[in-house]
Amino acid sequence: MKRLLSMATLGDKILFISLFIATLISFLFVKDLFPAGGLVKVTVAGNTAYLLSIEENRTVKVTGPIGDNVIEIKNGRVHIKEASCPNKLCVYQGWIDRGSIICLPNRFVVSVGGFNQRQSSSGPYDAITK
Amino acid sequence: MPSQNNVHIALLSAYAIVLHSLEALIPTPIPWLRLGLANIITLATLIMHGFRAGMMVTLIRVFVGSMITGTFLGPAFILSLGGGVSSTLAMGAVRGISGRIFGPIGFSLLGAITHNLAQLFLAYLLFVRNLEAIIFISPIILLIGTITGTFNGIATGLPKTLSCMYT
Repeated sequence: MKRLLSMATLGDKILFISLFIATLISFLFVKDLFPAGGLVKVTVAGNTAYLLSIEENRTVKVTGPIGDNVIEIKNGRVHIKEASCPNKLCVYQGWIDRGSIICLPNRFVVSVGGFNQRQSSSGPYDAITK
Repeated sequence: MPSQNNVHIALLSAYAIVLHSLEALIPTPIPWLRLGLANIITLATLIMHGFRAGMMVTLIRVFVGSMITGTFLGPAFILSLGGGVSSTLAMGAVRGISGRIFGPIGFSLLGAITHNLAQLFLAYLLFVRNLEAIIFISPIILLIGTITGTFNGIATGLPKTLSCMYT
């Protein structure tokens, strides 16, 4: 530990501490930015494919450039049930109730949020498919 | 560049490619968590041979490494190239302006954070046109960058590291 501290210059220490603080602040800031919303938005290649209520359990299939992915909503949380990519990172990310799951190979994003409450407060329907 | 330097740069590139390829084999608990071990070599090259050599090692590593891991010209390759070039540029620029302010740890942190932010930016531009999603993962990206940057900086700064490379 002593050797490590002697290896770091003053600039190193200042940079490390400021990055550490920036990380902490960004975590707090993002938590506030993403209240657990009541809607699940699925966009494929930039276009909104589904807008679903997170309260309602259901499974939807999304078709991207390389195949189908199955998205499941259950007990107020979302996860990717099946993916057609080699890495399956989105599946490993597990259940979320806020924020997003991003899939690069299949070009789709599942995000949870209020989405300005425009759709959720405007009508009695629970899903919009475009 | 004298021929001795070229030999050394080839050797350093080989080190970087090996680290880059080994890293692809290590399973990580969190997606997008990469240790960025190849940055140790880029950093050492910058310190020993300057900016041009560092950039060469990075480019060789990204191209050859992606052919080995099978990601050449795919999305991962574009992100890897963008991140690698940006971080090498950032480290080289800071080193050129004021080489004395930072030691290996500072440079490594600079490189790691630039690398990660550049990848995030590229991912937004090319693949994920969703600002919310990008903002959401940025704290995690910052955290990972800080941890791996510190780790690689320490690895570069160990007296043994540089002496190993002077073969």
